[in-house]
Amino acid sequence: MIDSTETLSQLVSQALLGEKFPIAKIISKIETENNLDFRESLFHEIQSQKPNAKDGLTIGITGTPGAGKSSLLGELCRLFLNFAPDKKMAIVAIDPSSNVSGGSILGDRTRVTLPRRDTRIYFRSQPSQLELGGLNPYTYHVIRFLRKIFDYVFIETVGIGQNEISVSLVSDISFLVMQPLGGDQVQFMKSGIMEVPEAFIINKCDEESLANSSYYMLQSTLEFIKDILPDQSLPPIFKTSVTKRKGIEELLSYILHYPKRKDKNAETITQLMQWIRNEYGRFGIGIWEKMESNSWNKAVRLSPLGGIHKLNYEEEERKFVSLIQKQITS
Amino acid sequence: MSAEKKDYLLVDENGQGKPDKPWIFRTYAGHTNAKASNELYRKNLSKGQTGLSIAFDLPTQCGYSSDHEVSRPEIGKVGVPINSLEDFRILFDQIPIEEMNTSMTINGTSMWLLSLYVALAEERGVPLEKLNGTTQNDLIKEYLARGTYIYPPKDSMKIIVDMYEYCLHNIPKWNPSNICSYHLQEAGATPVQELSFALATAIAVLDAIKERNCFTSEEFEQCVGRISFFVNAGIRFVEEMCKMRAFSEMWEEITKDRYGVKTAKYRVFRYGVQVNSLGLTEEQPENNAWRILIEALGVTLSRNARCRALQLPAWNEALSLPRPWDQQWSLRLQQVLAYETDLLEYPDIFEGSKVIEGKVKALKEEAKLEIQKILDMGGALVAIENGYMKSQLVKSQTERLSKINSNELVIVGKNKWTDGIKSPLMTDSDGGIFKVDPKSAEQTLGVLSEVKGRRNAEVAKKSLEELKQAARDGKNLMPYSIACAKALITTGEWADALREVYGEYNPPTGVDGQKLFLSDDKVSTVRGKVEAFTKAHGHRPKIVVGKPGLDGHSNGAEMIAVSAKHSGFDVIYSGIRLSPEEIVQSAVEENANVIGLSILSGSHKEIAKQLFDELAHYKAKIPVVIGGIIPESDFEELKKMGIREIFTPKDYDLMSIMNKIIDIISVEPALV
Repeated sequence: MIDSTETLSQLVSQALLGEKFPIAKIISKIETENNLDFRESLFHEIQSQKPNAKDGLTIGITGTPGAGKSSLLGELCRLFLNFAPDKKMAIVAIDPSSNVSGGSILGDRTRVTLPRRDTRIYFRSQPSQLELGGLNPYTYHVIRFLRKIFDYVFIETVGIGQNEISVSLVSDISFLVMQPLGGDQVQFMKSGIMEVPEAFIINKCDEESLANSSYYMLQSTLEFIKDILPDQSLPPIFKTSVTKRKGIEELLSYILHYPKRKDKNAETITQLMQWIRNEYGRFGIGIWEKMESNSWNKAVRLSPLGGIHKLNYEEEERKFVSLIQKQITS
Repeated sequence: MSAEKKDYLLVDENGQGKPDKPWIFRTYAGHTNAKASNELYRKNLSKGQTGLSIAFDLPTQCGYSSDHEVSRPEIGKVGVPINSLEDFRILFDQIPIEEMNTSMTINGTSMWLLSLYVALAEERGVPLEKLNGTTQNDLIKEYLARGTYIYPPKDSMKIIVDMYEYCLHNIPKWNPSNICSYHLQEAGATPVQELSFALATAIAVLDAIKERNCFTSEEFEQCVGRISFFVNAGIRFVEEMCKMRAFSEMWEEITKDRYGVKTAKYRVFRYGVQVNSLGLTEEQPENNAWRILIEALGVTLSRNARCRALQLPAWNEALSLPRPWDQQWSLRLQQVLAYETDLLEYPDIFEGSKVIEGKVKALKEEAKLEIQKILDMGGALVAIENGYMKSQLVKSQTERLSKINSNELVIVGKNKWTDGIKSPLMTDSDGGIFKVDPKSAEQTLGVLSEVKGRRNAEVAKKSLEELKQAARDGKNLMPYSIACAKALITTGEWADALREVYGEYNPPTGVDGQKLFLSDDKVSTVRGKVEAFTKAHGHRPKIVVGKPGLDGHSNGAEMIAVSAKHSGFDVIYSGIRLSPEEIVQSAVEENANVIGLSILSGSHKEIAKQLFDELAHYKAKIPVVIGGIIPESDFEELKKMGIREIFTPKDYDLMSIMNKIIDIISVEPALV
């Protein structure tokens, strides 16, 4: 807990140094309702203390329960410590369990054995808050904060269907983890989910022949999609086994060398629209669209030096909130 | 003698009265160090005990030598520490192992302990065919209930099959494994779950042996005949007796139908019992004496399904370790039952009883369905890995606790007739319990370092390398382990070598998706406070439930995790055998509002100290509460260290515990 003797500026400077307890306290505060003011001061403080703070690569890892995502992450952590000695990673694991009481059991740490007192890896659990495996309303902001401190930010979610899409929205690369011959392929194809992830992992490839047959099955499924989307190159497929310790080095190396970043302005706008839709429904979206089409608003996005001005999420949110308040009171 | 008399009395071929031989009387014992345990065994044998049942300490069970940092708080506490052959030489000093029936309650390291026993026998010139006894070696129940596993399920099963192969050819009278459903009942199993999970485990072992195809069909029959069981008997003694009859009948059917065993004697369900400890109460502990007697009846009354060996807990086991006198009292109960009463003079007294027959049939039918379910899943190993069996047990346990909490299940002295006069048995100068002298570990550590200094380092290194290579090559590990034993390898070195090859296993916790069945006023009070907290802080209260140390009895931690969720907490629970460092790291990274520790092995003081040191490292002031078998005499010291609240088995009311915890964290300063 943040006690009253600590100032935000102290917390931020300690957090930027990678100290775990201050990072944890800030995350709790982000995970608090009505946190706009706090977020504003937080990101402002970070900007003023460290204008060139990191912008970590975000990696989404998702898939059906039992596909072995957590064990895979555990093994990734272990290798990461050896292979990327100067880099730091954070994991946000979103757990779907919750019930009538609103409480939850967050068990994903179980599979990830972290070295003690090592500040290079940070693990945080998050209840999904009834969104059944999807992102919780605060996930995006927690990730934005962690990107400032860590080189890599992993988000692990459970689910099939629409939830993968929301993870891929906040990540630079998202992986769909499957089990060999789980029949997932067909299910995913049906739900239209195969187009979303940037890469695929067939985990639990403990046995060579089963792994290969699943690999070819998935490959042909993806080729079929490629025909529909002719410009898209075939996404990579990794075969991994945690028990046999196979394929995970390749996967890690792919992540560590991943060159592309997604457009963060697009990410901001998508997240903002999602928030507006959740909070204010179609009414809110209507107001947002009006605000967006405002020509002054468009112009302001263009930097005077040319190129696109980087959007500030909190600023946009506040603009929208004041607009909606005006609408309601008028 | 009239023919009429023969019908209801046991007689020999001459018509003379000939009562049954009693079962083997054992006491599960061992503590402090090899020397003290040796003295204890020799005393017990002189009191009329007829077999040895060795209790090992937690480091030995988990594959750590006494000089490992995690061992320190646990050396000699719940059993005897065994580091090398030298400790076995001391432990069995002046005990003729060729005449003993030795039961070793050891699982993860059972191959190692058997190797030490073999090495000792060879050193003494005792032919291996004369060795008689059992290594428990049931890993499935360890994953489910007791927590002293080391390697992943498939590798553990491979080790078990290695032992069957070796024993049948070299130590034919040894039971290489003993299917143990005892701890399942301790973890909340219903009679049907005990029946079905144990039998499914036995099927998994036999299927693995079949798959190795290392025996002729006659040898395989003998091998089936070597499978023994270790069960639990609870207080509902009629049902428990029926469970034992169902076990016998079902084993007969399985061995005949599934494995085609033709020789009748190899199909017999042979079992030993320790009666239930879970039901013993810390409140009015003298009542436990009657519970133990009634539970003993459940496994002895029925001649057709009578146990082969029996061990009884002591009346004061819910408080702490029993004293030698308490164990003697339990042994005397067995002797009274076997020698003073007429129990052993009659044939089966329940034959033809409609009630018993009906109940046995019902249990069998339900258990068969459950076994089929597990087999359809792919067998017991799969049902471990996917968490099915664990979650079923946690479910039964939460139901049981919910019933105690709502007084639906009466426990005399605990939730009914709680007023009483304090027991005079507790007033002795030792407070009625036994404590291990903390200095006694020095002796063990002394022997260990002396052995390491004395042994031939090259031979030792070579034997370990050969063990690892054999494991990589998938060879039978028994001969390599015996070579290690003779080379004076230590328990930790043996286990580490195989950890290197197999890795260490981390099973599902079973708490996901569990519900409590409580909805009374207490629940709404607690939920109200949780809501108030959430409002004030903007987020739900978060608890890290930590199970530190080597003690794997996770029921308490699981029940707290489930109750905290029921109250509306966000709960972080990562299973057993965590270091205080790992628990603090979780609490810090997750910014938990409170840490709840569960410790049953008696190491609470040492572990609490390590935990507070680690909190200081992070400059984290997170409130800590603790639950477990903690004697009142330690309360003050724990509170001084900073422990905010202490819960013992007396605090069975889950919502009162949660109420105290939410009160503690509600007064902590709120976020700025």
